[in-house]
Amino acid sequence: MAAGVEIKLGDTPDGSRSNFVHLISLLSEPLPGKEPDQIHPDADPVLPFSTKATCGACHSYDKISAGWHFNAIDPNVKPGRKGQPWIFADPTSATQIPLSYRQWPGTFRPEQIGLTPMAFLESFGRQMPGGGIGEMVDKSDNPEETLRSDVTGKLEINCLACHDGSAGMDMGGASGYSILVIRGNYRWAATASCEFAYVTRSIGKLPNEYDFRAPYVSADSKVKPPVVEYRKGAFGHNDGVNFDIRREGPKQRCYFCHSNVDVRDGKTEKWFADEDVHLAAGLTCVDCHRNGLEHDIIRGYAVESRDSNNPLTTISSCEGCHLGKNGDKPVAGRFAAPTPKHAGVPPTHFEKLSCTACHSGPWPANETINTKTARAHALGIAGANKSGEVLPHLLYPVFAKGQDGKIGVFKLLWPAYWATMADGNIMPLAMETVKSATSRAITKTAFSKTGSWPDLKEEDIARILTLLGEKVDAGAKVVYVTGGKLYSLDEGGKLVSADNKMAEPYMWPIAHDIRPAAQSLGVRNCQDCHTTNSPFLFGSVSADSPLKNLAGREMVAFQDLPRFYTKAFAFSFVFRPWLKVVAILSSLVILGVLVLYALKALGFAAKVVVGDEQ
Amino acid sequence: MDVSMFRTAAVAGFAAAVAAILLHFVVSKPKFDDVFGKDRPLRILDPLRLVIFFITLLFVEQKWSLIGALRKLVFLLAILCFLILVVTGFVPRVVFGTVISSWWLMIHATAAPVFAGCVAVLAVLWADRNRLDKNYWPLLNRMLKRQPQSTAAPEKHELKLRICFWVVLTMSLPVILSAVVSMFPLFGTHGQDVLLQIHRYCTLLLSLFAIIYLYLAALIEMNRTAAK
Repeated sequence: MAAGVEIKLGDTPDGSRSNFVHLISLLSEPLPGKEPDQIHPDADPVLPFSTKATCGACHSYDKISAGWHFNAIDPNVKPGRKGQPWIFADPTSATQIPLSYRQWPGTFRPEQIGLTPMAFLESFGRQMPGGGIGEMVDKSDNPEETLRSDVTGKLEINCLACHDGSAGMDMGGASGYSILVIRGNYRWAATASCEFAYVTRSIGKLPNEYDFRAPYVSADSKVKPPVVEYRKGAFGHNDGVNFDIRREGPKQRCYFCHSNVDVRDGKTEKWFADEDVHLAAGLTCVDCHRNGLEHDIIRGYAVESRDSNNPLTTISSCEGCHLGKNGDKPVAGRFAAPTPKHAGVPPTHFEKLSCTACHSGPWPANETINTKTARAHALGIAGANKSGEVLPHLLYPVFAKGQDGKIGVFKLLWPAYWATMADGNIMPLAMETVKSATSRAITKTAFSKTGSWPDLKEEDIARILTLLGEKVDAGAKVVYVTGGKLYSLDEGGKLVSADNKMAEPYMWPIAHDIRPAAQSLGVRNCQDCHTTNSPFLFGSVSADSPLKNLAGREMVAFQDLPRFYTKAFAFSFVFRPWLKVVAILSSLVILGVLVLYALKALGFAAKVVVGDEQ
Repeated sequence: MDVSMFRTAAVAGFAAAVAAILLHFVVSKPKFDDVFGKDRPLRILDPLRLVIFFITLLFVEQKWSLIGALRKLVFLLAILCFLILVVTGFVPRVVFGTVISSWWLMIHATAAPVFAGCVAVLAVLWADRNRLDKNYWPLLNRMLKRQPQSTAAPEKHELKLRICFWVVLTMSLPVILSAVVSMFPLFGTHGQDVLLQIHRYCTLLLSLFAIIYLYLAALIEMNRTAAK
């Protein structure tokens, strides 16, 4: 162990599989250079607890901070396979744009559209477990924000977000974690999520001089600081509290940020869909998505070992448990995983398709469907827009070729954003700039009550482009990207559209929900995919845009397959039964001839043996 | 089984077959008088003439009957399909090192049933004339101290030709069955792999013996023509 690296009490487990009781003291955020103080329920004011101080007393917070859920802002961390981005969606400006601090191709950095750390947290912190950008608010480029961070505090890692096993844990409630984050009460957010704490009021109008440690009285009776109430009886011996901490977080904790729901007939009824077959079989998310103290959690894709230091990545993919090919010793059958027979499936399928292509997501249909995710649509949070049409619009299942060169199943977002183009490079405009133009050009009657696209026509786009053109540097051309096209004004001021790589949809592979083997593609016959109208190859991916009637694309366009050949190959399956019949009949004839002449030879040999061959 | 092993085996097999044929061709000193004329200097189109000559040698003797016409047609069709199958089957794997896919696969799968049908028809039509009767086993006859029924000496190379016929016929069974069985949901991934290997290696054997068969058939025909 390198010198200076402290090993804390809880860093090294003793190996017991039982649950460790966390009867501990609550500690508050310490003053700079000081030790944290214990929280007592009868203090004034009652302080929120700091996870960094409370949990960090026994677990190395800095090590945990480097984990996958918290390290997006670290440029030295490999981005790995493309994942779900944060999607800034704003119907008032006809925008839906994928953002990420990771370097995933097709995403933009939040600051590119003018999102400061606090603005980012206001939009997305609701479903972040803290840490990372949440602890960068005091390092914002915006001095106002830096100053304000003394009041808001930092959004520390909320360990409870994943590890709290109590039924009363409140992430999305009206006074829960997410609402407090949205309102900028970062310091109080983790406390608000705790089942034995309750936080009321907000820092909203508090002045920058506010000190959360001191009693606060304002001349303005409407300006009141957040108040923390701990449940009576929660504090026991020496004012210790008992956290229901689970090392393996229950699936409901994961679901808060990782839920998906399909939109069917405009509704998002979750009872309509089955759960992932692994969960139905009794597994939990963290059985596969594992991590140690470093929180380098396994994402679960086949080639993850290239990107991750987690030693279990190779055996934790689909192949790892079901085939056991990736280890140096037999590992198949983990968690009673059945070994698939794949009877009648030519091996070339395993070279060209990922496991998910046949086993994940909904059964393909002629049209993609809309889906909502927790992180994109704030599912599970009080006040979330429940409409099936609310932005951002995510389409799936899209069968496309992934970064690993295999066809898998993806979710898709058609980016829509206003940008400048210079020397072929497209840079999105800051939302503040965009909104100053769109607010003048888009009338309120154009907005949808569902939170979907505003009703825009090409002349509206042209007008907004003209307005934005007045706000950008001379020489920069303003463009609007939507529905896979790039719109701009020509020299005569007429709206023109063109294809552009930057207008391509952002797609990320999905794995869940996994269907049972009996519902996998190809389970009936080859024609599940190989027909001239199969949704897998020729299903339509509609172009999503505020502009109507844009042409969509066929799945095959996303699979790097030539359409004519694919159609011809699919058509050839009409003749496949004939091929089988001809081949079998031919074999029978050949076999008959061989047997006949073999018997003749045998007869001759028999005659020779008895000397009767003349 | 390692794919590169099949690649090596295929390259070595075809190289050995071509080398053996060339060597045999040189050693057997065939007469080209019919093609080029006697004591004639070589001309620029002679290689083309030679190729066409060899192709015409494969046009089996036409018998003026329905069966005769059918036999000739089926034989030529089988040769055409064989060439298509060899090219589409071996080129992607041996030359490009990829699995057979896209148009290669389409053409391969189109020619395959035709070839299978042709082989079946030829098996019926040619099995009897390719019997390895006692005329072709002089050593065996001597050992058994018996005289052959027919005193007519068999054509040179005819025994080899007939052996090739039966090998091709025998190999065609696993080649066809391994392909067609894999299309039914009977074998899992490992079984599919085994079937694929059976298909590959049996096809390699079939191809090599078929090439030798065609060479010998042409050679016998050339000698027969020269003898007239």
